[in-house]
Amino acid sequence: MLEELSLHILDIGMNSLAAGAKTLQIVVIENIRRDWLIIRIRDDGQGMDARTLREVLGRNRTGKKGRPKAIGLGLAFLRQTSEMCGGTFHVRSAPGRGTSVTASMRYSHIDRPPLGDLNATILALCARPDVDVQLHYRSNGQTFHFSSQEGRHDEPRRTQKTQREGATARRAA
Amino acid sequence: MNLDELKKLKEKAQRHVALREGNKKYRVVFSMGTSGIAAGARDVMTSMLDELDKRGIENVEVAVTGEIGLVDAEPVIRVEDASGEKVTYANVNAAAARQIVSEHLEKGKVVDGLAVGKIKEPEQK
Repeated sequence: MLEELSLHILDIGMNSLAAGAKTLQIVVIENIRRDWLIIRIRDDGQGMDARTLREVLGRNRTGKKGRPKAIGLGLAFLRQTSEMCGGTFHVRSAPGRGTSVTASMRYSHIDRPPLGDLNATILALCARPDVDVQLHYRSNGQTFHFSSQEGRHDEPRRTQKTQREGATARRAA
Repeated sequence: MNLDELKKLKEKAQRHVALREGNKKYRVVFSMGTSGIAAGARDVMTSMLDELDKRGIENVEVAVTGEIGLVDAEPVIRVEDASGEKVTYANVNAAAARQIVSEHLEKGKVVDGLAVGKIKEPEQK
């Protein structure tokens, strides 16, 4: 079992990389007031058909022994963790349309694993420079955004910012 | 999760990505499948990045891959050099990762006690 939620995120994220994703979006929302912790991992990889999806979500999987095309336990682990912590678990996927995994759990549930080292998880996923790894983190009104491709498209972003600043300046004048 | 911690991510990731450009002497591949992650591969990778950073070693590319089938020997990492020689290290912990940096990646000496396999011997001089 994985001891931190960030390890679950890394595990699911690695599936996305294996599925040929070019963009991997990770959303973590902590809402202490409503007592929810929500994790969503969305990619634009090759997606799964209904049969594969049923297989990877099976509770009674014994592993990958002797299978020509192996399917692991990562999603089943996350499903187990979120259901154990009073939450729900959904996977939406279709061939060619990417995959979206959403896991929720009660923030205050005694069995809820700590979020852990989210930084280390994102850094590990950034080991694939061709994939844009994005993190959207929201915790009680505070937000944080990260994109691994941020530094690479400096030029157009700077232009946009300049235009916005220009507009603000005009309004101010 | 601390927001200040997350803010450090941006500069760290930029450094990490910048490390990929240019010619590399070594490529280190981490087995980052479910079994590797459960065995602590992520933290081993963090230690290695930290040690590379500390020693200012820039000619090493760090990569990840999925399950490689050595489930009982995880965390497993593979060091490949430009000549195609591959050395596999098994049961790597944080201390071992730092040792691999200081011995193998810096001085070119395979860490014998940790290596489990070696493909293609270097040419004899």
